[in-house]
Amino acid sequence: MNLSGSCAIVGIGETDYVRGAKESSADLILRASAQAIADAGLKPSDIDGILPSANFLSSEEIAANLGVPNMTYSVSVLMGGASPTASLQSAAMAIACGVAKTVLVTFGWDGYSAFRRERRVGPQRQQMQMPFAEVSRNYYAPYGVRSAAQWYSFYLTRYVQTYGVQPEDAANIALASRRHAHLNDKALMAGREMTLEDYLASPYIAEPLRKLDCCLETDCACAVVLTSVERAKDLPHTPVVWLGGAEGHPYPADEITNRPDLLKLGLHTAAPTAFAMAGVKPTDMDVLEIYDCFTYVVMMELEALGFAEPGGAKEFVANGNIELGGRFPMNTHGGLLSQGHCWGLNHVVEATRQLRHDAGRAQVADAELALVTGYGDLGDGSVAILGRGDR
Amino acid sequence: MATAKYTPRPLGLDREFFQLAVTTGKLHLQHCNACGHHQHPPRRFCAQCGSGDLGFVPTANRGEVYSWTVSHFTVDSGWVDDLPYATVVVQLPEGPRLVGAYTGDASTLAIGQPVSIRPEARTEDYCFFWIDG
Repeated sequence: MNLSGSCAIVGIGETDYVRGAKESSADLILRASAQAIADAGLKPSDIDGILPSANFLSSEEIAANLGVPNMTYSVSVLMGGASPTASLQSAAMAIACGVAKTVLVTFGWDGYSAFRRERRVGPQRQQMQMPFAEVSRNYYAPYGVRSAAQWYSFYLTRYVQTYGVQPEDAANIALASRRHAHLNDKALMAGREMTLEDYLASPYIAEPLRKLDCCLETDCACAVVLTSVERAKDLPHTPVVWLGGAEGHPYPADEITNRPDLLKLGLHTAAPTAFAMAGVKPTDMDVLEIYDCFTYVVMMELEALGFAEPGGAKEFVANGNIELGGRFPMNTHGGLLSQGHCWGLNHVVEATRQLRHDAGRAQVADAELALVTGYGDLGDGSVAILGRGDR
Repeated sequence: MATAKYTPRPLGLDREFFQLAVTTGKLHLQHCNACGHHQHPPRRFCAQCGSGDLGFVPTANRGEVYSWTVSHFTVDSGWVDDLPYATVVVQLPEGPRLVGAYTGDASTLAIGQPVSIRPEARTEDYCFFWIDG
């Protein structure tokens, strides 16, 4: 069975990206979901598949609250920030083989408030499940290594040492994201200027990562609705067709430091699979929506995707190449770095807007193909290649 | 306000791994009796040949720097007074790599730098590894 072109994104929903939401994460998820279903021109009872990433709110609870009486497929991907984009692949499989007709993929959380108990609204719900918890608690946590910035720096240090990557190289990514955020009213950092001097003056969190290399913590939710390409033709928006995708895991996925090659991410295996499925190549892409938890991780992803040789991403991100007006506009919404952190489902929403030609001031002219990546846990990766469909 | 450092209570194979370092003062690695492969952290089966016939063998407590993290910010209240601190990935001659706390000057860390491993028993079941430059 060829999954390419089996389904399309027909609805999108997105809350604001804030620090200190008045609503709970459950309410944010439900609001974004209802918005995506309405945007698709559908009713909750049209949904029969629900894929909530990481299970912050269960598919059962989402169905009960929205009014989805006949759920035939539900699954939660556990790949951290790679989950939402990997969920698109799961949705494509379910739709292609008829297990579900119309699928809701959603993610939301109190990614700011959850870490600041005194500002929390209401009781805390489920904790995140970490698939690498056992290794982390025995081998990293005793050394005060407990955050993504620290875990990833085990290989980012190796990356910058091996290829001589400089802070000024990573700054290109942070600065491009910020410039794009100024065009997006929903971006948390819209209107807040950042210069190279600001970047270089920002303190280290875990070398080589400075504060301005790190994504934002926000409370937010996103949702997308997918259905068959055939059915999509009867719905209000230009369909955004899922042309290909894949997930990949480094080995071993639950432990960073004993991988044969620390610089091999899950994306290194996922990317060629996704491009082959879609029948396109990296240089065909009009828009890049790359999971930007950290600037240096973006560089490694770009290399895994084939946009540059190993160590070559520093040239790729230079000279405005990844900015609007450049050859490969990247993270046109501001990304996790300057819009907000919705585990990359905000990247899927933005790619959809771009391909609908509805991205406002950040629109890439005549965009036909977009690439989305997810990245999570200790280097898992996911890819979605999306194309503007026919009306 | 600093608090005591976190000490894990490992289970199963991880517990065996730490207990051997506690009782002997030497880092031990899991070793496959079928093919001779060393692996870390310990697993149920050999990643090279699939055998379940695995044991532990002592090392010489030496290796070289493979990579590192220098933390300038921490969410761990047990480590706030140590900032900035370097956590080193040591390449062991047997093949696997070990994470430990670096005692030297983090600003001069370099890939390939020889280091020695100094186990410090924290409980009967857990051993902390210092990395001396």
